[in-house]
Amino acid sequence: MITLSDIPARSQMPLTLPMGIFVVVMATAPFWLARVGLYQYLGVEIAIWVLFAMGFNLLFGYTGLHSFGHGAYLGIGAYAFGLFQHHAAISLWGGLFAAIAAASVAGAVVGAFLSHRRGIYYALLTIGFGQVFWFSAMKLHWLTGGEDGLLNIPRPDLVIGPWRFDLNDNAVFYWFVAAITIAAVLLMWRVVNAPVGRVLQAIRQNETRARFVGYDVWRWKWLAFTISAAFAGLAGGLFSMAQQSAYPDVMSLHQSGIIVMMVLVGGGLVSFWGPVLGVVLYFVARDVLGGLTEAWLLWYGLLFVIMVMVRPEGMAGLLHVLLRRTSGQVSTVKPEKA
Amino acid sequence: MPVFAVNNVLHMTSLVPHIVNGLTLGLLFALIALGFTLIVGVMEVINLAHGSLFTLGAYLAMSTIGASWFAGTPFGIWWLEFPLNVRYFLGLALGPVLAGAVGMLLELCLRPTYGKAPLYGLLLTFGAAIVVEEAIRLVWGTGEQSMPVPQMISGAFLMGGLIFSTYKFYAAGFAIVAILMVWLFLERTPYGAIIKAGAHDSEMVRALGYDLGRLRLLVFGFGSALAGIAGMVMAPIWGLRPHLGIDVVIPAFLIIVIGGVGSFWGAVAAAILVGLATGITGAYAPAWSLMSMYILLIAIVGFRARGLLGRRSALEN
Amino acid sequence: MSQSKISRRRLLTSAAAAAGGVGFMGPWAHNRVYAQATAKPIKIGITSDASGQYANSGAEDRRGMMMAIAEANAKGGVLGRKIETFHLDTETTPATGSRVAERMITRENCGFLIGAIHSGVANAISQVAQKYGVIYLNTNSSAPSEAGQNCHRVKFVWDANGSNFSKAAVKAAVEKFGKKWVLLTNDYVWGHSTAAATKNLLRNYGGQMVEEILVPQGTRDFSSQLLKIQQINPGVVSAAIGGDDLKAMRQQIAQLKMGDKPAWINNQQDWADVYGLPLDNLFGVFGTTWYYNLDLPGVSDFVKRYQAMYPDTYMKVPGNVFYNGYWATRELFAAIERAGSTNNIKVIKQLENLKVSARDRMQHHDAWMDPNTHQMQQTIYLATANVGTKDPDDMFKILGNSAPKDVMDVDSAPACKLETYEATSTFDA
Repeated sequence: MITLSDIPARSQMPLTLPMGIFVVVMATAPFWLARVGLYQYLGVEIAIWVLFAMGFNLLFGYTGLHSFGHGAYLGIGAYAFGLFQHHAAISLWGGLFAAIAAASVAGAVVGAFLSHRRGIYYALLTIGFGQVFWFSAMKLHWLTGGEDGLLNIPRPDLVIGPWRFDLNDNAVFYWFVAAITIAAVLLMWRVVNAPVGRVLQAIRQNETRARFVGYDVWRWKWLAFTISAAFAGLAGGLFSMAQQSAYPDVMSLHQSGIIVMMVLVGGGLVSFWGPVLGVVLYFVARDVLGGLTEAWLLWYGLLFVIMVMVRPEGMAGLLHVLLRRTSGQVSTVKPEKA
Repeated sequence: MPVFAVNNVLHMTSLVPHIVNGLTLGLLFALIALGFTLIVGVMEVINLAHGSLFTLGAYLAMSTIGASWFAGTPFGIWWLEFPLNVRYFLGLALGPVLAGAVGMLLELCLRPTYGKAPLYGLLLTFGAAIVVEEAIRLVWGTGEQSMPVPQMISGAFLMGGLIFSTYKFYAAGFAIVAILMVWLFLERTPYGAIIKAGAHDSEMVRALGYDLGRLRLLVFGFGSALAGIAGMVMAPIWGLRPHLGIDVVIPAFLIIVIGGVGSFWGAVAAAILVGLATGITGAYAPAWSLMSMYILLIAIVGFRARGLLGRRSALEN
Repeated sequence: MSQSKISRRRLLTSAAAAAGGVGFMGPWAHNRVYAQATAKPIKIGITSDASGQYANSGAEDRRGMMMAIAEANAKGGVLGRKIETFHLDTETTPATGSRVAERMITRENCGFLIGAIHSGVANAISQVAQKYGVIYLNTNSSAPSEAGQNCHRVKFVWDANGSNFSKAAVKAAVEKFGKKWVLLTNDYVWGHSTAAATKNLLRNYGGQMVEEILVPQGTRDFSSQLLKIQQINPGVVSAAIGGDDLKAMRQQIAQLKMGDKPAWINNQQDWADVYGLPLDNLFGVFGTTWYYNLDLPGVSDFVKRYQAMYPDTYMKVPGNVFYNGYWATRELFAAIERAGSTNNIKVIKQLENLKVSARDRMQHHDAWMDPNTHQMQQTIYLATANVGTKDPDDMFKILGNSAPKDVMDVDSAPACKLETYEATSTFDA
């Protein structure tokens, strides 16, 4: 099986073909979404979840830390944005900052508990903490509105110099989200291709060895978790704007599992771009199959099971192999020994 | 609020029924977690489909008892003439066996993931949980169903002036028997010894000439059948609906973590702790009763990294 | 396999033909059969839950809407326009509700949205609907907040709510079963607002709440709460427990045989949640807005129409959820006809002035739409298990009924601030 580390090191200049395609597709979506039978709001959701999934993959794919409770930080960001609008001020940047800050703090605290743990205990504790946050969101109804959610969250206008944009228009809002997502993805690209990214991957490959080499593994694990939670919080802030509400559901174990599914199916373990493919596949499949059959999750679940069995590298891995074949090279990918 | 104060004083003197109740609850939690523990302990696979297999076992048992697939056919009519007791015990046998068969199928699917990170097993079973749940929805519909229970174990009895459910005590008794039998099987039979050897040293098992593949198949089937039994026993208490699995897998999983992965008695002890915590907070601080098990988790795992009685496991790598 | 294979060329040609004709609608655009070539159909977005906690009620809700739609189409449509539907599962999840509503309005061009069981989902949908000015019918969500703090100009609520049911039950229960009450309350918005209404009423009728037991949502074992109730030994337990929690609790009360003593007052009991269960699962006294065996003209004909349309459904008779889904849809069509237009403001005004005679609605009292809260004011029935019945469908025994004016929800109304007509975007389906 190929892994992220088998992909050759890149320069820090993000001017690659996939980056170009990503930026062009994101930037032009409102012009062609309706033509291919999709709609603007779906584009908004996909852009937000791409941001969430990419941030999650810093932890999951790059550092090899398997969090199963990451929906919690998306939810915390969403509530923080809403509460900021309700109780502090109607402010776009203030709200987004609050979302990032709240999720980072929560991530930092949880990360401090987690970072001594390894393997499955790590995953189990992330579930435990995720459940605590989810449960708190349901219970603290004076703060979060409980099961009914925090409602009537405004989408404040975007003001840039003399220009004012009304984000209530889904197309305008999409461009705003797309711009933030692109900026965040560029930032993540820098992070994973910088020395930091190499350290994180070293931890994934062999934590003990990384420690012997002299890295303060605890601190790096903690940092990866906190950064990843911060991106989730930003995505959550945008999500609460999209929905004009914040709900506890996104924090549940089920939703946290779904994001893992998306990242894995896309190929987050072998490619920086894997999560993007996974998110797009999931949302489009849900929208198309969901309109045709109520049992769509059965088919998606089956697809997922088969994928884990035969091709855990996901869509990106598949693409990688196909590209090599078509370019005439013999695939050097060997099956991993059991 | 003087009324509340008086009531609370009265209740302080009657903590006993809540402790009894917490213990039965704990035994039921242990039953729920039993198959999960076995599979984690022996195979080091976190089987997130445990809850779905639990639900599947209960549905299969219900269909056996009610002959729903043969309703109206001569066989169905013949079958329904048997007393409920007979049909119930056949359901108790058949439901888990079928759930076990599905579990074996799942084990075959899991094979490509052996030797890779434990993550893959977790992911595959998460996908399988969704598939089984959706399949239940397709076959039995989305509605609430009810599991019939024989007269002799239904109803209620009085103890210290309070009504207790007969069935609950039957279920708790059943849990004790099941726990002891699984323990005896693991500790006192040659099969158990091989299974345990397989958990720690698969090379050794191979060297001794046992087929590791078949061993894993059987263990997974056995663990899934235990999930099915738990489903059958719990259905009359919780009701039966397709998404019941999520109510099962979370407590089971918390119990394993609190008890320590791979420790049989750790899990049982954790289950009883969780039961007592839920039962007692349920009476005195009911708003916190569900939260209590998470607080227990963080409190225990925060101080003891591997839970109450956990030992080092390959899952940590 | 080879027979069903479509060549790439053929696919391209048909796509090109579609693009030349009515514009490329995407690979999964629906084929339509127009009743009249000229009139654009009216498209209804059906937002009922198809999976999750309320999947079953969602299906019954949808059957009600579909019967009203079939009847309208049989009569030649509404304003001569055929009714079409588009259904998408809201998964009993608010976040999904938002997305479904966005898709229905912006991509499927639905002119009206109908359907809800879960109040969170109803909220989420109505927020989106209000943004676009699309009329949304909340058919079956009974949280008082739906016609209170979360009301909207475009949203109409067709079910009775927790306060209505409490009003119908509390006075009678204090007189019959005594003053000592315990409240068993699901610890979330619906539970709290329903319990608050009960507490108010208890005070008014001289009852006394000795304890309120808060039950967290997601509770599956009620043994400690049930033991505690026995220790307190109240005359009445008023339960506001919903969803799967209620289903689990029902099983456990039936086992304990505690259904008769103390007296249980349940809020609403949705037909879809209890149909087919053993009768001892139906404990205590509970509310409903309609029952298929009411001795009123028209009821048996209505049941026959249901059975003719759904001969294979496991539910042999329609219930309250079906009834609300049916009436909401039917009254929407009537309002469009009266308005002579699908302009949202015109239709809203018609719905706000809606009055339906008891005879038409097959209830005991006339019903009307409250223009200030957009909640349908209707008869409330109290019922209990029909012990000793021979007919497995005839599960309820109706104990009595209350006129809508006696059970009005005066607590939620002040919290409802409808958007003005001007602040509601104009929309024409």
